[in-house]
Amino acid sequence: MTPPDSTQFPAESTSALQSHGVVFARALSQRVTTADGELAILSEVELAVKAGETLAITGASGSGKSTLLGLLAGLDQPSAGEIMLLGQRLGDLDEDARARLRAGRIGFVFQSFQLLPALSALENILLPLELAGRADARERAVYWLDRVGLAARAAHTPRQLSGGEQQRVALARAFATDPEIVFADEPTGNLDADTGARIIELLFELNASARTTLILVTHDEALAARCQRRLHLVAGQMREAALA
Amino acid sequence: MTFIRLGLWLLQRERASGEWRVLLLALIIGVGSVSTTGFLGDRIKRAMSEQGASFLGADLMVTSPRPIEDWPVPAVERGAPASRPLATSRALEFASMVSRGDAFQLATLRAVDADYPLRGVVRIADRPFEPGAARPAQPPPGAIYVEPSLLPLLSASVGDSVQIGEASFRIAGLVAEEPGQLGGVFGLAPRVFLRADEVETTRVLQPGSRLTYLYQFAGEPEQLAAFSAALKPALDSTQRLIGSREGVETLRGAFANADRYIQLTALISLLLSVAAIAIAAHHHALRHYDQAALLRCFGTTTAQLRTLYAVQLLTLGLLGSLAGVVIGALTQQALAGLILPGAVTRLPSLGLAPVGVAIASGLLALAGASLPALMRLIRVPPLRVLRRDLPPLPVAAWLSAALSGSALLLLIAWYAGDAKLVGGFVGALIGLVGVLILLARLALVAGRGVQRMSHGPLRFGLAQLLRHRFDSTLQLGAFTLALFLVALLALVRSDLIAGWQQQLPPQAPNYFLVNIAPHQQQAVAAYLSEHRLEASALYPMVRGRLVSKDGVPIAETLPEDARDTNTLRRELNLTWTATLPANNVVLAGRWHGERSADAPVKGTPVGAPPPSSDPSAAPVKGTPAGTPLPSSDPSAAPVKGTPAGTPLPSSDPSAEISVESGMAERLNLAVGDQLGFQIGDQTLAARITSIRSVKWDSMQPNFFVIFAPGQLDTLPASSIASVYVPPDATGVLPGFVKTFPGITVLALDKLIANIEAVFAQIIGAIQLLLGFLLAAGMAVVVATLLASLDARQQEAVLLRTLGAQRAYLAKGLWSEFIALGLLAGLLASACAEIAMALIANRLFELPLRLHPWLWLVLPLGGALLVGMSGWLTTRHITRVPPMQSIRALN
Repeated sequence: MTPPDSTQFPAESTSALQSHGVVFARALSQRVTTADGELAILSEVELAVKAGETLAITGASGSGKSTLLGLLAGLDQPSAGEIMLLGQRLGDLDEDARARLRAGRIGFVFQSFQLLPALSALENILLPLELAGRADARERAVYWLDRVGLAARAAHTPRQLSGGEQQRVALARAFATDPEIVFADEPTGNLDADTGARIIELLFELNASARTTLILVTHDEALAARCQRRLHLVAGQMREAALA
Repeated sequence: MTFIRLGLWLLQRERASGEWRVLLLALIIGVGSVSTTGFLGDRIKRAMSEQGASFLGADLMVTSPRPIEDWPVPAVERGAPASRPLATSRALEFASMVSRGDAFQLATLRAVDADYPLRGVVRIADRPFEPGAARPAQPPPGAIYVEPSLLPLLSASVGDSVQIGEASFRIAGLVAEEPGQLGGVFGLAPRVFLRADEVETTRVLQPGSRLTYLYQFAGEPEQLAAFSAALKPALDSTQRLIGSREGVETLRGAFANADRYIQLTALISLLLSVAAIAIAAHHHALRHYDQAALLRCFGTTTAQLRTLYAVQLLTLGLLGSLAGVVIGALTQQALAGLILPGAVTRLPSLGLAPVGVAIASGLLALAGASLPALMRLIRVPPLRVLRRDLPPLPVAAWLSAALSGSALLLLIAWYAGDAKLVGGFVGALIGLVGVLILLARLALVAGRGVQRMSHGPLRFGLAQLLRHRFDSTLQLGAFTLALFLVALLALVRSDLIAGWQQQLPPQAPNYFLVNIAPHQQQAVAAYLSEHRLEASALYPMVRGRLVSKDGVPIAETLPEDARDTNTLRRELNLTWTATLPANNVVLAGRWHGERSADAPVKGTPVGAPPPSSDPSAAPVKGTPAGTPLPSSDPSAAPVKGTPAGTPLPSSDPSAEISVESGMAERLNLAVGDQLGFQIGDQTLAARITSIRSVKWDSMQPNFFVIFAPGQLDTLPASSIASVYVPPDATGVLPGFVKTFPGITVLALDKLIANIEAVFAQIIGAIQLLLGFLLAAGMAVVVATLLASLDARQQEAVLLRTLGAQRAYLAKGLWSEFIALGLLAGLLASACAEIAMALIANRLFELPLRLHPWLWLVLPLGGALLVGMSGWLTTRHITRVPPMQSIRALN
């Protein structure tokens, strides 16, 4: 990778974001090789997110939203460009070092909830706490399950929970470790409008009280509207929309 | 929290979900069948060596011309107080004259203590040719037991007194059966048992008397192994250590085949369970990609993920192996009690070795089978949490192949312990997998034609099979492998049994007439034909010792450690014939009979027509299998005593001999070598012109060395004949003995019954092992089916949602499974025939034959087996309401 060319970025924003920002991306591109040749999924995306900020990444299906989210969270490596996550240059880190960076500092919420089917609601929340080595893991898990209103369902497995309940467990799991950033991928995508609305409420309430940076991918206008900033992707190209 | 704890926690949580059940089940079946095989095999081996011990009279025997005072440290009497010391018995054997009135006869006296024999029984009868009753071999004070052949020689009968040296003894009974009887076939002096504490009274032992001290030992295998290891270095060249396996060389072939078969069965059950485990592990990994991706998202590193899954596997491995061992021990206990008790006098206790072996092989099999899946699992990209379609990073094929391959090779080598077997197996397996994949593909292509012609659920079922070509190939391959291996072992089993039964034809000679003088031949023939008994061919026999090779004393041509061989220590039974005996195959050189066929043939049958023209006697011509057995002749001194300057043979240098291949190998002999023999006070040289293989367990005439006619004719020879005496005609024998007092009549019924008992034992065990193999085969089938369950369920739900009726789906599933089973059965038949042709000959020395019934049984059996297990495994997917299934799948 070529060294970052600071002239492409305003000098002020570079230094300010590097000192205060939690996510910082420059000239980010992702290309894949298909049978029909090379396909650009993301092209030259520039992004800076400050601590405590909420950002919605929107766009049509296939516009590259989830790919961008994955890159920002360090789940994948870009074809070109550079990402700073929590003060670390991801390009300098290997897969395991990126994993260590995520541990306990980053939370995730997924469209398909991604709860482990064999674990109870409480245990699903417990899992990242245990992984982060938190001594008070169980107390925190109980607390967070209560926070999302499911204290009575602690022993239930995902199969015994409705979609909305499963997503609440997922929210509790994401916030339980006091992460600095929560990445959410279409958190209401699998839910009906009412349930989705309640999940949005809960998500922003938890985010506000924890003062977490929230980066979410959605094509739900209502959800995007709740964020402070919105990044619109069209065919992998960035169109930063109005700030909220 | 450490990842070890986390791994155990997740494992414990998933236990309820049943995710691990398939894997654990496969492991339990695998280890269960392996440990059953191991326990049973171990027990059978020990039971067989006990059978051998009863032939020898002990588990171990040491013979020495001098008394042995100092026994090595794991000493006999000084055995550790914790464990029971070895049981011991001492006997002294010497030759002496036994007289009654004017009659004198040289006899072999064995002076025994109260414990003799430690194994096996001595039967004492009151009249000749009666079975007698089991009694201690030590006679009451002042009495002796004698071999029946001694009575006519001394004109004595039971109750009479005879003189040995200065003491007089009463004949208290006749020795009808004794351990090691076979060894006495050519010991010309009849056996006499007397009390060890009465030897003194005879005063026949003088300084310089030729004595053989027999020290017998019995105990647990570990004790014996330690004892014999400590003992060996302490023995000099005149002393011999004989193990129970050497007790009866006639059974050596059967022992070896059974050993090999047990090894092979253990190996194949293990490989089948490895296949089942591999399928289950792959399926397990497939279902855990999401979990692994999520854990990576939460910040778990590759190393942590590896620890987590390795701990889970190890725990499962230990649990499954332990459960398998327990099941194996229980099953074999139940089955061994059911099948073996009649055949063994004392069931050996359970060995601990198979437990360790089973657990270790369970872990090794699990590691080998699940490593590739595990390696893929820990390489799942975390991005999979966002994109479910992302496959785990590919693992370098060579790496996983090398890892699994070396684990499996280690297992195979461990079990087979025989380079030939390992090489053959690995080659065959690699070839087999390739062929199976190809055949499965071809069969599926052929299935397309059938599908087009069919309709209804059958068409649907076949279409399912063809649509999932990859899964179908895998399933077909796995089913074929399981059916093939089970069929293969079943075939080897029936061929082994048939082979053994052929060796013991119903009218095998059961009596041998030894020591027929030339002038008695006509009279013997006349006597036998008068009583309608048919004797076999008559083989002239001269006893001689091999002394030199190309003029050099034979011992000097051999490395130090190869000199201690029976072949050199004892006198060989030399015969001459122009006809190559049945069951002998010339391996090198040319049979001398082919050149001297027109020469006059000595050793013509007694009265009976020549062997070649007597079809009924064909399989049992000539002398017993006992020919190569060690002579019990106490005067046989080790060859080391022969002077180095053996006078060079003076006879015809063009004399030709044929040598048995094992002896040629042991003594490093080749065609063209000139061997010198010491026969009485004469020496004789002859050139090896052929090397033969001999089937020792064939109950047929077997000789290490066969001369061309014309070389030994001038030497004093007695002859041997065998005769079949039907059970209702044994009354003839006392008359025969009276008429020909010099001829020894040996009854071999007991030996044959013993051999049959050993075969029955082996056959019973083999049938058991086959049952466990079948269970391992079932494990493969079930694991394969369970692995396809998710996809099937998904499809079934979809189809039911689209309006397919339950019965339609059920019939479709049945058609699919039956078609799979039929195809697998056909492929397995082809593979089994080919493999049988390859291994029957090489591994078990069995004749080649085709098995037409296989082509019917395997496809039908396969259809039934796969159909039933398929239906049992998947039946619920057609019963659950679609809505419930959809929720479950989500």
